[in-house]
Amino acid sequence: MSKEDYLAWANEAFDIRRIFDKPEALKGLRVVELCTLILGPAHAVFLAEMGAEVIKVELPGTGDTMRYVSPRGMFWQNQSLGFFSENRNKYHVTIDVRKAEGKELFKKLIARADVFIENLTAGTMDEWGLGYHQLSAINPGLIYIAKNGFGQWGPYAKGRASYDAVAQAQSGIGFITGFPGRPPLKMGIFIGDYFGAIMSAASVMAALHYRKRTGRGQFIDYAQSEGLIRMLDWTWAYQYLTGQDRDRYGNWDVAICPSGIFRCGDGFIAIAAATDAEFAALAKAMDRPGLAEDARFRTLADRLKEENSRELQKILDEWTAGKTQGEIDRLGGEFGFAAAPVYSEADTYRNEHWRARGATWQHEDPVYGDTVEYGPVVKMSETPGRIKWSAKPVGFDNEFVFGTILGLGKEEQAVLKAKGITTKWADRVGAKPPDDWQGEGLIFNRGGEE
Amino acid sequence: MEYPYHVGWEDWTRLHTDPAKGRGKPEALDDLLVLDLSYGNMGGLFCSSILGELGAEVIRVEPPAGDIAREFSPFGYKHRGVGLAYLVEGRNKYHVTCDLHTEKGRELLKRLARKADILIESFQPGVLDELGIGYRQLAEINPGLIYLAFSTYGQFGPLAGSNKPDYDITNQAMSTLVNMTGEPEWDGPAPYAVPTKVGNWYGWYNPGAWGAFGALSALFFRDAGGRGQLLDISGAEGVAAAMDYDCLWYHAFGMTRERIGSLDNGVFPYTYIRVKDGYAFIAGFSDPNFTGLTNIMNRPDLRGQFPTIVDRLQIENELKIKDEIEKWSINYTAAEILDMVSNYHGVGTVATARVNSPREVMDEDNWYQRGALSLVDDPVYGRILVQQPPWKMTLTPPRIKWLCRPVGYDNEYVYLKHLGLGRSDVAALRREGAV
Repeated sequence: MSKEDYLAWANEAFDIRRIFDKPEALKGLRVVELCTLILGPAHAVFLAEMGAEVIKVELPGTGDTMRYVSPRGMFWQNQSLGFFSENRNKYHVTIDVRKAEGKELFKKLIARADVFIENLTAGTMDEWGLGYHQLSAINPGLIYIAKNGFGQWGPYAKGRASYDAVAQAQSGIGFITGFPGRPPLKMGIFIGDYFGAIMSAASVMAALHYRKRTGRGQFIDYAQSEGLIRMLDWTWAYQYLTGQDRDRYGNWDVAICPSGIFRCGDGFIAIAAATDAEFAALAKAMDRPGLAEDARFRTLADRLKEENSRELQKILDEWTAGKTQGEIDRLGGEFGFAAAPVYSEADTYRNEHWRARGATWQHEDPVYGDTVEYGPVVKMSETPGRIKWSAKPVGFDNEFVFGTILGLGKEEQAVLKAKGITTKWADRVGAKPPDDWQGEGLIFNRGGEE
Repeated sequence: MEYPYHVGWEDWTRLHTDPAKGRGKPEALDDLLVLDLSYGNMGGLFCSSILGELGAEVIRVEPPAGDIAREFSPFGYKHRGVGLAYLVEGRNKYHVTCDLHTEKGRELLKRLARKADILIESFQPGVLDELGIGYRQLAEINPGLIYLAFSTYGQFGPLAGSNKPDYDITNQAMSTLVNMTGEPEWDGPAPYAVPTKVGNWYGWYNPGAWGAFGALSALFFRDAGGRGQLLDISGAEGVAAAMDYDCLWYHAFGMTRERIGSLDNGVFPYTYIRVKDGYAFIAGFSDPNFTGLTNIMNRPDLRGQFPTIVDRLQIENELKIKDEIEKWSINYTAAEILDMVSNYHGVGTVATARVNSPREVMDEDNWYQRGALSLVDDPVYGRILVQQPPWKMTLTPPRIKWLCRPVGYDNEYVYLKHLGLGRSDVAALRREGAV
């Protein structure tokens, strides 16, 4: 079979126009989350993209803190931009789990759930009488995952406030990012949260496989600082074996050569070529095929020697300075080495390849209208992930969830609401629907309220 | 399960999830067989590490000369012949050789794939298909197979046939992560004021984690009676999708993120600051928390200057606030600031942490108590400190069994166990160059 034949087949097999005609991988899985910010909600959203039914429980009124985190304080249709990407495809309900009737309602949900995700301060659920002991007593098959900065036990577990950047600082990843002799760089993204969300999603799927085999649920403790420590590749072995310290090395990779970010005529570009064949291809593209025969650069082991590595970096710097992003990008494909421009959001947003893949995913949300977000990451031929709707205001789906899943009648719901157990959104940007909202997107009680 | 609940939450969770006590417990994935054919790709290797840590039997299939990833190592340093990156991610895997460019080698692979649950590869799209051992051919002999393909551009779409290998650095660059990381040029151009990569191989570890999650989601579908499938994982897309609001910010307002060093677009103060003994992180961005921070600094006047979250999120104000914090913080060590924060009991919560070097991380007892870092005594490579799996699980704790194996170390065991080949069969295959 030719490569063209395979690519044509793959285009057909993954055609994004057919996604909704295919089944979902996690159909039948019910997930309850009691989470704020990103570490927990992002985990739940990954399951929701794969087809799980995710019920996001928030405290009445203002809800999740992420509803108030938005770049430069710019809110979109009364919702924070930060809240959207971790909360699509979910059902949004409110329960004041600190009150007795709220606890009872919450337990009813847990009795019907497969997975429970929380990312509160260690022990908070337990103090509320809703810890693993109580919930697993109601539902022995429950997979309960608790996530935070430093875990549920150990010296740092108690009384220490943690954010993503605390984990970045404490794990070493902040220190190793940036240039030598310059300050360390905090990543502008919440890397510990998102990486932690993917990793913990994997562990929950493993626990579900085990439950399928044995019927047994379990408790999982995930510390995002430890996820980042896990991610630091060769760092620990290097320091232990050589006694040397890992530093920050700017844009140059000291363990793969060449691999780095280079300035070219009209921007910046990434180039890498680890194998000898790829390096020979790069040398040829540079019109300097002799480099591949040069004793300093012949094999990866030669190129990785510090002095040779620096020499090669200089040679590449000089070459890229006289080229454009587009030229080097094209040469990479033509000759067979890795090259990619340093993209901005404008580039990925407009990129037709990403549009064709659903990597940038356009949909029309009933509440927020025309929306483009990054789509589900893992593209699946049989059970593709999908975005069905965007995040919703606080308590948006109360009637649907309490009415259909828990079977509460209208009057029971009204009582809970009157007592403040299940109050919906506060009149506050971040919590409430857009100003011009007319009740679109509600499954029950069309016409809206409050 | 019994709950000696009187011990309290912290003690109970420690009792039931301490990795040091997990050895005798069952493993979540020990009924799975995984083939990892990835080449020169830490994403594929990390993916199979996750599955192996959770109990799967992972067979690394390398060409007879070994994976080029065995050469990836800082300054080319080797430990008993293997690079440190591979030494870390060779964990729990059996290592066989199989030359996929020979007919015999492909036959061996097909026989293994017939029994496998998950297969991982990182060749350019279509390469294995052309050899007759891609997803289409293997799914025919094993319809339950979950087949993971790692790449930068993916298996479909206009640029899928780009003819470019998959690397950490290109995944980071395409994702927009590099564009928005680094020092700005506010004080003029400088060699360091450029788009900057993240220090570790995040452009590979990110898709590796996505791959494990995707594979186990596909397994969930198969456990429920569904068939196997092809999973296409682009590292560039994986990194981008783990970056908050960027896409929507551009969609809604046409805004893109600029390089702003260690400041932050969405929350402030939430930044690295200079302290007496290096750098520390400090946060106090909501109104009550900013009150807390300014109380600790004894600078209540700052609340009047920057009263709302929106005021504090304007870049020129972030710079002013950071200056004011550093006038205070430079007089104290990171530990002293942590003490002040911990002993403050007024309005708001302030978070702080020293920006530790990896050496300082390695010197902290917390990680050893938690089992995040620990020594492994490997039969081939000796005693080495490595990072451990990050999940603590009560019933099926993950674990490291060994660190790595030399090229082809397990040929005889694996080919005997799975294909019934005796020593002389393997020797014959070796003479023919298939293994």
